Amino acid sequence: MYNGLILERFQNPRFAGGLRGANGTGKVGNDECGDVVKIYILVDDAGIITNAKFKAYGGVCTIVACDIACELLIGKTLEDALRISNNDILEEMRSVPDSKEYTASLAEEAIKNAVEDYYKRKEREERKQQEN
Amino acid sequence: MGRKVYLDNAATTYVSSEVLAEMLPCFNAIYGNSNSLHSFGREASAIVDRARDRIAHAINAAKSNEIYFTSGGTEADNWAIKGLAHAYSNKGKHIITSQIEHHAVLDACKQLEEEGYEVTYLPVDKTGLVNIVDLIHSIRKDTTLISIMAVNNEVGTIQNIKAIAKIAHDYGIIFHTDAVQAVGAIRLDVQDMEIDAMTLSAHKIFGPKGVGCLYLKNGIRIESLIVGGSQERAKRGGTLNVPAIAGFGKAVEIAVRDIVINQQKLRSIRDYFLRSVNEKIEYVHLNGHPQQKVNGIVNLSFEMVDKESLLMLLDMDGVAVSTGSACTSNSVEPSHVLKAMGIEDVLANGSIRFSFSKNISKSDIDYVVEVLEKDVAKLRSISALTKAGRK
Repeated sequence: MYNGLILERFQNPRFAGGLRGANGTGKVGNDECGDVVKIYILVDDAGIITNAKFKAYGGVCTIVACDIACELLIGKTLEDALRISNNDILEEMRSVPDSKEYTASLAEEAIKNAVEDYYKRKEREERKQQEN
Repeated sequence: MGRKVYLDNAATTYVSSEVLAEMLPCFNAIYGNSNSLHSFGREASAIVDRARDRIAHAINAAKSNEIYFTSGGTEADNWAIKGLAHAYSNKGKHIITSQIEHHAVLDACKQLEEEGYEVTYLPVDKTGLVNIVDLIHSIRKDTTLISIMAVNNEVGTIQNIKAIAKIAHDYGIIFHTDAVQAVGAIRLDVQDMEIDAMTLSAHKIFGPKGVGCLYLKNGIRIESLIVGGSQERAKRGGTLNVPAIAGFGKAVEIAVRDIVINQQKLRSIRDYFLRSVNEKIEYVHLNGHPQQKVNGIVNLSFEMVDKESLLMLLDMDGVAVSTGSACTSNSVEPSHVLKAMGIEDVLANGSIRFSFSKNISKSDIDYVVEVLEKDVAKLRSISALTKAGRK
């Protein structure tokens, strides 16, 4: 059902877990549907994503799609991160059963939410500084 | 490679050596067509007759000719539902079944609905039992058939078959039961239980795949599903699969002969497994009936864990389990059985079926629980759900 790359990555995800000091978090899904995904990013002052991690409640492809999303994120600018599409993730997964293609879209949405969360947090901080 | 433990015996079993020994001569030594008149045919026919006798005896059928061999449980279920509904359509076009039946029954009912039949799918309670009062209320003047499975394949709940059959007959309705998971697990006596039609399969009881039968009480009419020959009293066409039938007969004979000792073993394996899991793993729920269930099937829900991910991690550790029935494990939807039982989606999504065989040892269970504990912990450590979210 799943190719070797997916199985290997599922067994040994490289970016699973929480991320200390993350300044952007993107959450997608709810437990009713069976998939909940969180992607954490750490963005430096120059706007480069220096680290990314994920947590996922879901099947094999959900976990692998998130792991790949994190790998794609690291080293990218926020603008480039927003350009990562579900197709980019599917390409890295090589072959995915039709019924599991949605997992790449979940990961894409989580990326977008994480970047958006980073911008929101930054805006809030800047406003606070101005008020002070 | 490392250790392997097979805990998916409700999906299928291996063929036991006793059964295999019964089958092997039928591939090349006794190879006649059991319908042929010559000695080769008569020899094969004798093998089929013996298998028929063994099965009839095991379920206490009044006559051996009430056993009709099929290609398996799925065909027998399809045949019973469609064949009985069609044969009695002049009396009415209403059928009663339950929401937790195997898809062989449910999908056959769906086809009948397309033909204009009406089907009542009875709900079940949280333990998986059909409510007898609901059943009585659903009976109509035009009800011709009630089909309720004896033992559920996902959670192992045992229905009150005798009581249901009694009610069916009080109203002059035919009663069919899918007993694929029941044979060898509980006593089946078609006369005492007043069963009119019953589905059996070989490959869940150490027999070969691709063979099963429909028990049909003499006097009950049925329309053929498969035509093209006078086999099986002209009710089911097709050359008989003699080796498989020979193995099936032996498998049923052994399953019923050894039922007491096998069930004792299974019960002690199951109890040891459940005790160990409860000791080592938190946030686990047992699905199904607390007592009225077979010993060989355990269905557990692990909070904060997805069933597919857990199944795959266990597989990588050499432990074979299943998420619901094997036929639906490729689908993403939660099990129709757990849904009908009213199990929350978030728990149904984390449900795994462990089904044992008599050969599983204590040390096998120790190994399974060890890797289960590790794999559940691993998935929980990266799960986006938390205990706090559940409480």
